[in-house]
Amino acid sequence: MRGDNNNDTDNKKIAAQIAKLRAERAQIMGYKTHAHFVLEENMLKSPEEVYELLIQLWKPAVKRANVEVADMQAVANAEGQNFDIAAWDWWHYSEKVRKEKYDLDESLIKPYLSLDNVLKGVFNTTNKLWGLTFTEIFDLDLYHPDARIWKVSDKDGSHLGIFIGDYFTRSNKRGGAWMSSFKGQSNLDGMERPIVVNVCNFPAPVGDNPALLSFDNVVTLFHEFGHAMHGTLTNVKYGSMAGTSGPRDFIELPSQLLEHWASEPEVLKSFATHYETGEPIPDELIEKLLNASKFNQGFINTEYLAASLLDMDWHTISADEDLKDANKFELESMKKVGLIGEIAPRYRTTYFAHIFSGGYSSGYYSYVHAAVLDSDAFEAFKEVGDVFDKDLASKLRATIYSKGSTEEAMDLFVQFRGRKASIEPLLKVRGLDGSE
Amino acid sequence: MFMGIYRVIFFSAFLCFSSSIYSHNPEDFVIAEIERGQMNFENEQIAAEYGAALKRQRMRRLAAMPFLKKFYIFTKAGFEHIIPQGLDHILFVLGLFFSCRAFRSLLLQVTAFTVAHSITLVIAAQGLVQMRGDIVEAIIALSIVWIAIENCIYKEVSKFRYFVVFAFGLLHGLGFATLLSQYGLPKDNFISLLLAFNIGVELGQLAVLILAFLLVRYILRKNWYSNEIKIPASLMIAAVGLFWFIERVF
Repeated sequence: MRGDNNNDTDNKKIAAQIAKLRAERAQIMGYKTHAHFVLEENMLKSPEEVYELLIQLWKPAVKRANVEVADMQAVANAEGQNFDIAAWDWWHYSEKVRKEKYDLDESLIKPYLSLDNVLKGVFNTTNKLWGLTFTEIFDLDLYHPDARIWKVSDKDGSHLGIFIGDYFTRSNKRGGAWMSSFKGQSNLDGMERPIVVNVCNFPAPVGDNPALLSFDNVVTLFHEFGHAMHGTLTNVKYGSMAGTSGPRDFIELPSQLLEHWASEPEVLKSFATHYETGEPIPDELIEKLLNASKFNQGFINTEYLAASLLDMDWHTISADEDLKDANKFELESMKKVGLIGEIAPRYRTTYFAHIFSGGYSSGYYSYVHAAVLDSDAFEAFKEVGDVFDKDLASKLRATIYSKGSTEEAMDLFVQFRGRKASIEPLLKVRGLDGSE
Repeated sequence: MFMGIYRVIFFSAFLCFSSSIYSHNPEDFVIAEIERGQMNFENEQIAAEYGAALKRQRMRRLAAMPFLKKFYIFTKAGFEHIIPQGLDHILFVLGLFFSCRAFRSLLLQVTAFTVAHSITLVIAAQGLVQMRGDIVEAIIALSIVWIAIENCIYKEVSKFRYFVVFAFGLLHGLGFATLLSQYGLPKDNFISLLLAFNIGVELGQLAVLILAFLLVRYILRKNWYSNEIKIPASLMIAAVGLFWFIERVF
């Protein structure tokens, strides 16, 4: 186990020490625990609120994970095996279940997802929502010939910003996908409009063929584009409060929300046309595609929630807590919440870099928090029966996408939704609502 | 006195040619046109990725251009592939130029060469024929040697010469096509832009012939033209061609 080999690089003592020092610092500053100190600036203001959310999601996730275990046990039994599925059997047997129930041939889908079509799709989505238009600029040289640049105009033709998309992987490029600003927005001294960039690592096309994306790539593109819209539609006075400057458990809402349009059959059909024949993607492929996204969700959510709970437990200790063994602490923490033996937390304490060195301490929950928010926000569009409803779209822009961090994030969400977020839409999206 | 000057000119031309052999790389050509400067890459893979990205950028920009501008760009590219990038094609055409004093014979040779390379350019650009670039380049170098040596051996143009030139023309067309495929030809205007590129090549070729004629027009009829100009020039062309051949093969 990484960082847990009782050698020079063993992290057990160090992790416990970090947690204790954090608790001590928080108490010196007058906070009850480190989590109280961190959460003060988030949407969820106290450890109690975070625990409440995590526990609410925990039960359906574990329930679903148990169903997945049963599915795998059935496969193993059918093979004539005589053992109970354990943690180390998961990937082997879940792959067999996937092939049987959720199989998806990516090579059949890719021809419908050329980068140019997907870009048209995402531009068109923002056009239908907010009337934005994107005009590609060809007579500007950027830092690399694969980087493309667009002028973004508002509904009335006024200038909103500059968008740069740098989508292909290169051997000397950092991996992953992100959004960043070359120039922020501010209305302090005249109108300063932003320049934002999306960087991804999609495979470059071969020869003269168009670049064909996987559906995962498409979701990533929409996600980063959501951040880009947060950075572009921003309209505030002070630059330090513009765009993506909000709290951590809010910041993934504008990005993850846009992903929902990518998976909406109506939208998908409008841009996913075959690069050779021009045929729109067939319905049965869309169905398979959306079905495949529900595979293994019990496992994924349980291991994630387990890690989030572990994060919270580490950061709600008091400074004088008697911590001898980090592994014992973790074991008790997982036992308390009832983690099933077939699943381990996504990160064990000794290699949980997010929370011990990555700035996500008592913040690992924010991924799922944003997911609750985006699923519930998109549900608003589903409720009115039109994913491009004009009134809702302009309300969304006025509250979520244009305010930066000028108001409390929770207030912004409530202004849009009329109430706090419900977890039901997320459970439905992830197949944890018992319908699977 | 004239002879001395011309020898010096040809000798210095020879030096220039030798020193610029290394710049005869289509990739450089593509990069140079857009970046207008020397690019240094950490390794070959990064250079190849950059070249492919430049081509994609060029194709996107072309797709957004009005037709006449595209036509102009491809004509220019064809011309530039002769002057200044196509030293081997320049030498080949000069080899033809020094073969005879009769305008009709030169016209026939140049026409045979043009028709031949147009045929293979079209066929290869459509992907119907493919040949390894390094082999084509090596034989092109050899064709220069052949033509130039023939100039030294025969006093006037032989009947077979036209067929030989035609055959070599076919090869040179493959060479043009290799470059054009690296340059990228938009699918929408495939034939018209191919034509534009070819027109550019012909204009470049014509420019070489006119320049050569202007240089030697007063001495063309002198009785020492053959011994003092034609044969030394042809020998130098052959030497450069041989050097390229050896360089490209080994």
